[in-house]
Amino acid sequence: MISIHTIIKPSTLQFRPKRPSRKPPKTLAPIHALLQYNRKPQLAGDTPRVVVITSGKGGVGKTTTTANIGISLARLGFSAVAIDADVGLRNLDLLLGLENRVNYTVVEVLNGDCRLDQALVRDKQWSNFELLCISKPRSKLPLGFGGKALIWLVDALKNREEGPPDFILIDCPAGIDAGFITAITPANEAVLVTTPDITSLRDADRVTGLLECDGIRDIKMIVNRVRTDMIKGEDMMSVLDVQEMLGLPLLGVIPEDTEVIRSTNRGYPLVLNKPPALAGLAFEQAAWRLVEQDSMKAVMMEEEPKKRGFFSFFGG
Amino acid sequence: MASIAAVPVRSPSFLPLRNFRNGLQFWPELGLDCTCKYSNGRVTYRKFVVKAMESDVDSGLRNDAVVIKSSEKDYAERQQKLHQNIVAKLHESVGSLPVFAFPIGKLSGMNFTIGLCIVATMLVVVVKGYAAKGSSDRRPGSVADLVRRGQLRSDRRGISTPLKYEDPFNNPMVKVSKSNSTVEMCGKVYRLAPVTLTDELQTVHQKRRSRAYQWKRPTVFLKEGDPIPSDVDPDTVRWIPANHPFATTASDIDEGLAQTNVYQKHGVPFRIQAEHEALQRKLEALQNDQKLGKLVIDPASARDFERPLKSHMKSENQVEHNISTPKSGSSASPSDHPSGNKPLPEELQNP
Repeated sequence: MISIHTIIKPSTLQFRPKRPSRKPPKTLAPIHALLQYNRKPQLAGDTPRVVVITSGKGGVGKTTTTANIGISLARLGFSAVAIDADVGLRNLDLLLGLENRVNYTVVEVLNGDCRLDQALVRDKQWSNFELLCISKPRSKLPLGFGGKALIWLVDALKNREEGPPDFILIDCPAGIDAGFITAITPANEAVLVTTPDITSLRDADRVTGLLECDGIRDIKMIVNRVRTDMIKGEDMMSVLDVQEMLGLPLLGVIPEDTEVIRSTNRGYPLVLNKPPALAGLAFEQAAWRLVEQDSMKAVMMEEEPKKRGFFSFFGG
Repeated sequence: MASIAAVPVRSPSFLPLRNFRNGLQFWPELGLDCTCKYSNGRVTYRKFVVKAMESDVDSGLRNDAVVIKSSEKDYAERQQKLHQNIVAKLHESVGSLPVFAFPIGKLSGMNFTIGLCIVATMLVVVVKGYAAKGSSDRRPGSVADLVRRGQLRSDRRGISTPLKYEDPFNNPMVKVSKSNSTVEMCGKVYRLAPVTLTDELQTVHQKRRSRAYQWKRPTVFLKEGDPIPSDVDPDTVRWIPANHPFATTASDIDEGLAQTNVYQKHGVPFRIQAEHEALQRKLEALQNDQKLGKLVIDPASARDFERPLKSHMKSENQVEHNISTPKSGSSASPSDHPSGNKPLPEELQNP
């Protein structure tokens, strides 16, 4: 799949949100097709698809990826529930601008203070996207209990009255301790977020090994914060180098973009920017490939521009 | 005939315009015609017709005509005189051109300077290119360091062939080169490099990780210092520090109850319901206690429990006092009191 199709007519992505309806889980054959903006992607795999977004190393962009892919899925017409599985450090609500609307968390649901549907925060603009937080900061959760709780949650979401969601995205905390174990428990597939630096790659490799030990085989990679100018100048590893080290199929390549910081400050996901940012377009592409269970077939490498004119001879 | 070589003009395009303008002032006296074509502010000479003439043009032509008609002897003499005149005039003209001597010297100095600049520029470009090539290997922190450390294999890099790209959307921001191998976008040029990961490579990586990372999912969480139960695999134990701020090993939640809470779809949540019921019970109990406190004792039965008093008056007063104490919430008026029609004292009527 060629990622060059990003810079074209982003307005065609405005699909109407699908009305949630009760439907039995279905199995679809994997679809391999070129990325095309003039049609809706076809959902592949069993629904609901439970995807954990993890990395190992902190600060590589897991929460940003979860927020933007979740909203992209909602824009494409699929129902999605994002679960912030970080017990103690909650951030996903900030990126989505929903921090003032989180009244109940999973801890309250377990204690019987509220029902599950009361703890789900529905986005006002995209009604088919919901957020669920595990706990409030400084609250305690029994560690051996967290994995079971998430399994019950996913099961309850599958059996709810308005029908199961198409996607359940779990934002995994950093590290490989109890929080990580809790988050990966109900997942069937994983998205590994990494940056093209050696420390992140080492942690990502370890996390991939743990995921495979735990039985998760469908693991795809997103390379975040890519600087094509540094890759051209041989100061940063290329995306192909990263893939050579980890041996994972590519779900997306996200360029470094200052709009990420601004969107975090505003509480407005990057994919909703008008005009679209490069990183936002890349996230949309990644969401597209996630829906169709596809991976990238080629990446773009920056080259020297053609020298034109007499004065370019002087190295200007 | 004046020779053009007497006025050397080697590189007319590099000479400043003002010198030619000064020189042009003298061209009409020499009888030199020149047609100048100006291009880009520079003077380029296309035609240069030089012919030497006497100062009086008409008389020169007439003299020539007379020489032809005279005898040959006179012709030879006149030819000599003509040549002498021409040479004399040429000397005069050259002598009257002091300005040209200055620009000629200046022109050679300018050429030297310009040539020197060009050579220096070429040297700078060559040195810059060499430095750029060398610095990528010598600069610390580049990808070459990763190759040296053995983190990256150098033999696999840069072997992919560019893909052909078709742009069906006719996006003016995306310019595809003629060979379809590069794309210009947002002011930068990109090349499409195909992904080189195959299924075999993926399997190799999976096998490597399975050998490197042996991990069992922890199922038992213990505080640091607790003994491991005998029937528990040590590899499945996760040790939690006692002062961990966000974790606890103590499970205060009943698992069955928690599961029920998660699956609840309708109605009031369990804890809210339980609290509400507890509050209800408490309120009822409180109300019952208050009712008991306001009960009136039957005088007939109360006498059985009375102590014998010393004075008769005291006993009568006590009985009256007991009788006159009203029940709580009772609407009985003193006039309806069954003991009699005796009016009660005011302080006894009021509760």
